[in-house]
Amino acid sequence: MAETKEKSLSDEKPKPRVRPIVRLGIFLISHSFHVSVVCCTAGVLALFLLPVLAKNTYISENALMPGSASPMLSNQHVSDGNRLVKDLTNPNSKSSETGIESHKIIAQYMLDLGAEVSFHKFHPQMNQFHPLHFFSSPDSGKIQENYSCSSYGINTVGIIRAPRGDGKEAIVLVTPYNALKSGFGEALSLGIAYSVFSLLTQVTWLAKDIIWLVADSQYGEYAAVAAWLREYQTPKFSSLSAPNAEMCPDVNNLFELKGHSISGSKFSNSFRRAGTMAAALVLKVRDQNEQFEDTISIYAEASNGQMPNLDLINVVNYLAVHRQGLRVNVEKLWSLLNSSWLKSLGEIFESLAKVAKSLYPKWKFGIPATEYVEGTATLASSLYYQALGVPTGPHGAFRDYQVDAITLEISPKFSLDKVWRNDILLRGGRLIEGVIRSVNNLLEKFHQSFFLYLLTSPSKFVSVGVYMIAFALLIAPLPMVAASLYVDANSSSKRSKGDSSTPSAITDTDEHSIAIRSWSPTTSFMIWVLLSILSLLTLNSVLASPLACAKATQEKEWALVKSVTISSVFIGLGLMSVINFATAEIGALLMVPMCLLAQPLKLDVRAGTLRSFCRMICNLVLGHIAFPPAAFFLLKGMLDGFGNANVGDFWMWVESLWAWNSATYLFIGMVQLPCWVLCISILFHTC
Amino acid sequence: METFINPKSLFHLLLLPCLLLYSSIAYNSSPVEAAMHTNNWAVLVCTSRFWFNYRHMANTLSLYRTVKRLGIPDERIILMLADDMACNTRNKYPAQVFNNENHRLNLYGDNVEVDYRGYEVTVENFLRVLTGRHETAVPRSKRLLSDEGSHILLYMTGHGGDEFLKFQDSEELQSHDLADAVKQMKEKHRFKELLIMVDTCQAATLFNQLQSPGVLAIGSSMKGENSYSHHLDSDVGVSVVDRFTYYTLAFFERLNIYDNASLSSLFSSYNPSLLMSTAYYRKDLYKRRLEEVPVTNFFGSVMETIHTDAAYKALSRRNSGRFEDEMSLDQSVHHIERRMLIKVNDGYEIHDINPEGEEGASKCPWSTFRNKFQKAENVDSLVNYGLVAMIPLLVISTWLVQ
Repeated sequence: MAETKEKSLSDEKPKPRVRPIVRLGIFLISHSFHVSVVCCTAGVLALFLLPVLAKNTYISENALMPGSASPMLSNQHVSDGNRLVKDLTNPNSKSSETGIESHKIIAQYMLDLGAEVSFHKFHPQMNQFHPLHFFSSPDSGKIQENYSCSSYGINTVGIIRAPRGDGKEAIVLVTPYNALKSGFGEALSLGIAYSVFSLLTQVTWLAKDIIWLVADSQYGEYAAVAAWLREYQTPKFSSLSAPNAEMCPDVNNLFELKGHSISGSKFSNSFRRAGTMAAALVLKVRDQNEQFEDTISIYAEASNGQMPNLDLINVVNYLAVHRQGLRVNVEKLWSLLNSSWLKSLGEIFESLAKVAKSLYPKWKFGIPATEYVEGTATLASSLYYQALGVPTGPHGAFRDYQVDAITLEISPKFSLDKVWRNDILLRGGRLIEGVIRSVNNLLEKFHQSFFLYLLTSPSKFVSVGVYMIAFALLIAPLPMVAASLYVDANSSSKRSKGDSSTPSAITDTDEHSIAIRSWSPTTSFMIWVLLSILSLLTLNSVLASPLACAKATQEKEWALVKSVTISSVFIGLGLMSVINFATAEIGALLMVPMCLLAQPLKLDVRAGTLRSFCRMICNLVLGHIAFPPAAFFLLKGMLDGFGNANVGDFWMWVESLWAWNSATYLFIGMVQLPCWVLCISILFHTC
Repeated sequence: METFINPKSLFHLLLLPCLLLYSSIAYNSSPVEAAMHTNNWAVLVCTSRFWFNYRHMANTLSLYRTVKRLGIPDERIILMLADDMACNTRNKYPAQVFNNENHRLNLYGDNVEVDYRGYEVTVENFLRVLTGRHETAVPRSKRLLSDEGSHILLYMTGHGGDEFLKFQDSEELQSHDLADAVKQMKEKHRFKELLIMVDTCQAATLFNQLQSPGVLAIGSSMKGENSYSHHLDSDVGVSVVDRFTYYTLAFFERLNIYDNASLSSLFSSYNPSLLMSTAYYRKDLYKRRLEEVPVTNFFGSVMETIHTDAAYKALSRRNSGRFEDEMSLDQSVHHIERRMLIKVNDGYEIHDINPEGEEGASKCPWSTFRNKFQKAENVDSLVNYGLVAMIPLLVISTWLVQ
């Protein structure tokens, strides 16, 4: 009885009620084509809207109080700095082969101020590829066996202890300096740093120690700073690492000299430390400049698109603009500034904003077209340098230890006038002093403001909450399309086992296996292409051909392959967006349209309609663009002109990615290339 | 011997002066809640830490200096400073605190007694000080030992919001807490009158929950308003004083201990355009008219003194109608105004002696009578008069009994 009742009950309910979210999912999947068109368009549009949506920067941390104290740097300190510049540019100091003389001069100057001075000698480390060291701090460095006495660098380090501080924190000022071939700019940057340093030895308000690092940049600015930081952060306790620079007579000579000439002073042979670093400033002065006013460029991108806290940039920007009257620059893609299509896009947005404002006066989101173009150029360069994952200056070494750092490059309008030199020393010095005083006020690490942002101008930024929308819109249709393809393929041929082994999944090992040899970049690139194609074809014939022969069941094989491709692209982009957002964004721009459109060319040819013809053309174009080397050439050609483009450039580019441990390298190798190969295989599918 | 005079009426007639005498004495003898104002206390609290809140400490120290200058002794000031700006490493002038960029006045001089400093300044300790519920080990110097005759000034500054005041960047005092503490104080007869002065954003909201009588509250800003700093000292690199406190101090700098400026003149001295906020005062719990209360009743230690002939006469409180004003009788506008108002109001605490003595006579025989007694030389003569009046009463009553 009961059973029959139950049966009748279940009969009465023909369909179990589907929950709304499932219904929504089904709806989206069944309309995946429209959804993907809408989402992709919106995603690209949102990307172009970012300069309009950028907000003005503001100092988020109360404690900073930039500019609240009047600068104390006086002409006395400037003349001190001038003295150092003169001594360094004096031809006598350059007589020595190794440039030790100038290091001695600097050390002597520091000692005269009463600072603690030490030399740090280092060997430039070979770059090693650590594929998964995205955000972890570098290890103390492998002890390399074959040090030679001929190649070492000397960093000069001066430390001022805060008179009433607890010595637990420090602010670092870095001036790269190549003693062997220093330009006037480098000497000037030392002069600025010295004038600030001489002021800071006198002030009573220091709460953090000040470290002045004169980084020996003969093996690269980054290498010197990174070597010093490695030593600072990860002290070596074993004496096994001793057989290095101390063995070299020249270095010992240097120390002996110092030790004798100034006994009882604050000079020390051992490595000196101060507290944890609150912030670091790298100061450079550019040698030549053709600009009409004194400008200061801020470089902030560290490895893998990590940025320093926005507050640091804000402080520098505020002080430079509102206190010292310097113009502040951030990197721009200059070639974009003249592009007419961008200008017209900006005008469209401007007029749209005007219309919106006339409709409702409170809507004020429009920006002038010229501003839009500049914003876009800055945004594009911000995206590019973050995506590259290669630090744009020595400040990148600090970011690896979670220290906020930026490089300031002062480019003065050039003249050899002494008044001018004093002026730039004074203003540069006051800027540095202001930033140091502001950071000195800090009570905690920088944490209030953003770490994830894109700059559209020195005083405007797009925060993570806004720019993620564009990316999310771009990749949103991927899972839906994948699901709908899978469902279609399954329903049409239920018996199909769908064992579509992806023939190219293994090919990406190729580029790893190729070691960097002494071939020219062009040759290397060609060899790589040939090898890849060869291995690809071999594997394809070995693994994929038997399946391709199985006929009728594999009718929809390409759909399944596409579904797999799209899912893997989705997963890859999703993962990459966590590691380096900019890479994922650019990758999504290149790959999402290609993956969504991919369809066997044969089908399109067979159909012969206008629509399929268009799709075919699109597929071919996208298939070319999405190939990383092709995309690279295209971009480079667009920005620098096609005349300069060289086949070897791409190889060099990838090599630099490899050398800097960029996650972008992994992305290209493990997501972009395989997916491109899959898409190509779909295009040429024999169905 | 029966007379035509009704003995009872005679009795009443004779009783009348005695009653009059008695009632006039009883009139001036105060009930429990109307205790005399006998002492002054000040609780000055700076609730915020960190170097960039320098101004809050400077505010509090400025007020400390002012109340001390106006006569509240150090042992009756509880000074709570949540951080030590003077010894902060960022301070360009070690061990000195200024509230003006001219640096003329070092607020952190030799004789500053900080009772609660640094992390001792918590909501708990603050409430303990107010309510007097201390651990046994807490020394007397850290306690608010006020009684039912105390006028207390409670000054607080820091960062606040809608119905709260932040302490130490980690906890907050809510308006309920404050009201509750004040209520407890009232129950425990820890004050006679309390002036709460708060310089913080949305300070007015902090007084919303107050219920206890005798409380007067003034805040620097209304709900939704910020309190701003007055100016920045570009030498020290921080803002050194808040606007509300700055103008409060500007008011007090003109005064000395003998001045007679009233609370209403203080309250009306705040100019919203200079303050950039609206100073708000809540006086519905306060009975006296603000025009007649001198600011020195709270910010100084000026109170009426009772003159007695003998040092140990017990009657001190009885005939305290006399109030010898120690203040100078300068003919300032406030002074005259205040006296006129007292006449109308006939308040029970402050009775000025009329040097002219003409206004009182016109009122009624009752007060004439009282005036006469007030004019009487001393208590002894009063008692003598009373005894003389008793004699006929005695005689008549014995005669009636017979």
